[in-house]
Amino acid sequence: MNALLKVEDLGISFGSNHVLTSVNFEVHENEVLGVIGPNGAGKTVMLNILSGILSPTKGKVTFLGDDITNMKITERTYKGIGRTFQVPRAFEGMSVFENVLVGCSYGRKIPEKESIALAKEILQLIQLYDQRNILAGKLGLLGRKRLEIGIALASNPKLLLLDEVAGGLTKSEVEEILDIVKKIKARGISIIWIEHVMQTMIEGTDRVMLLAGGKDILCAPAEIMMQSKEVSEVYLGAEDDE
Amino acid sequence: MDKKLGTEKGLRKPSLKAIIIIVILAALVTLPVWGSPYLMNIFVLVLLYIAIGQMWNLLAGYSGLVSLGQQAFVGIGGYCLAMTSQEYGLPLVLGFILAGVVSVVFALVISLPIFKMSGVYFTIGTWIVCECLRVFFSSWKFVNYSIGYNISATYKMLPSTIYFVALGIGVATTVLVILLLRSKFGLGLMAMRDNASAAEIRGIELYKTKLKCFLISSFVTGIAGAGLYLNIAFIQPNAAFGIDWTISMTFLVIIGGLGTIEGPIVGAVIFVLLRQLLYDFPGFSMLLLGVIAIAIILVAPKGIMGYVNERFGLDIFSIRRRLD
Repeated sequence: MNALLKVEDLGISFGSNHVLTSVNFEVHENEVLGVIGPNGAGKTVMLNILSGILSPTKGKVTFLGDDITNMKITERTYKGIGRTFQVPRAFEGMSVFENVLVGCSYGRKIPEKESIALAKEILQLIQLYDQRNILAGKLGLLGRKRLEIGIALASNPKLLLLDEVAGGLTKSEVEEILDIVKKIKARGISIIWIEHVMQTMIEGTDRVMLLAGGKDILCAPAEIMMQSKEVSEVYLGAEDDE
Repeated sequence: MDKKLGTEKGLRKPSLKAIIIIVILAALVTLPVWGSPYLMNIFVLVLLYIAIGQMWNLLAGYSGLVSLGQQAFVGIGGYCLAMTSQEYGLPLVLGFILAGVVSVVFALVISLPIFKMSGVYFTIGTWIVCECLRVFFSSWKFVNYSIGYNISATYKMLPSTIYFVALGIGVATTVLVILLLRSKFGLGLMAMRDNASAAEIRGIELYKTKLKCFLISSFVTGIAGAGLYLNIAFIQPNAAFGIDWTISMTFLVIIGGLGTIEGPIVGAVIFVLLRQLLYDFPGFSMLLLGVIAIAIILVAPKGIMGYVNERFGLDIFSIRRRLD
């Protein structure tokens, strides 16, 4: 499998607070990589580095064979990295359709008229077509999470960064999100998915990476991860029986 | 499948809307026939304040650039008109063209340092640039120091001519804003208005978009400034580059509705009427305008038209895309 994204010795510090010390991993084409870790492990910080919001203190990020470590946010979007935010950041004064239209026309750098058909297709995928003309600010939590995925998808990403898109949802709602993610993967898009909801990691990922203490501790398929001693100790906080 | 862009809920009666707009435009065009010179003068002010208000709104309401230095372009516009006609005896129309062009060039030059600042620093920076300009013009021989100029070419003009110039500027500015916001550029502006950091992640280049807005705004404000001094007929630096211009723009946009096209129109009408009614009480009028602004911010934070649009769906100049 070819590495779509390669992260080498990635680190970031805020003053004396070393949030990430050395993170190394790869994401392959059409792979869903789950990322788990305790609160404060630096999962969202890592996504912020990958999407260009933060600059790393050290390390290198390679995407599609190019070094993107210091690339501008918008250039990363054009190159094929899309992301969602933990707290949805839809454009609340605009309609659901307009939100997706922004992602299509700006993310793909195409005229607005050419974006309409694409926006329609995405609205159907995220199951918000019926609510397309209402203001994004009037959507409920599930709707906002769906829209967040839709806007990110609109820019035609090759790699989608999902930051707790299932957080705060009920079990049935989580299943709806899982269903959307599976459909996105079926389109050949790779995904890095940060999540605390274990069901999503087990059912929706190919591999899961454990991030703790500023490092990548372990990376393996979800079934193996859930039974590993490292996850129990670091993530779930369980004491060793011995 | 039918897919087309249309208008938003509450605006399903484009024919009624069109009729209202046509009636208003017809009334405005025929005003010199049925209106008194005083009324015409009131409308000159309203129309020109609409223009500068729309431009301040484009900056603050859509780009998040809260400028306290827009008076720089009013002053530049006024001086371009005064210099070309008074010093060189050139046609007034050339003064208007120069007003826009010189304003854009000046905006481009100051954007280099100003755009390195953000938020409140940008706001203060724009004000400082303008104060520098005021002091510079006051001691610049080329513009007759702080003595200024009478713009005598306007003395021979009919009030109706000045009115039609103001009408052209006011209507053209509003149409320009509508067209801008209905374009892809406007889609990006509205996204920036709602969440700038998210807009950047979606591929909107914040710097370029803000700069474009700043240049468009300076161009139109320069021309409107020339229009304002066509009406005033006398210019000197303290008034031309005075912050009163920007206070007026801020007031009318905030009470009318920040981030709406109708807001500056409603705000300009209220502002000019209040100013005229309280003309004999200069200190009191400022106090009252301040109280009104505070009251509206408290009761309707989105301004009069922001409240009306939200409450009744009365979005007259709809810029909303709709997928049917």
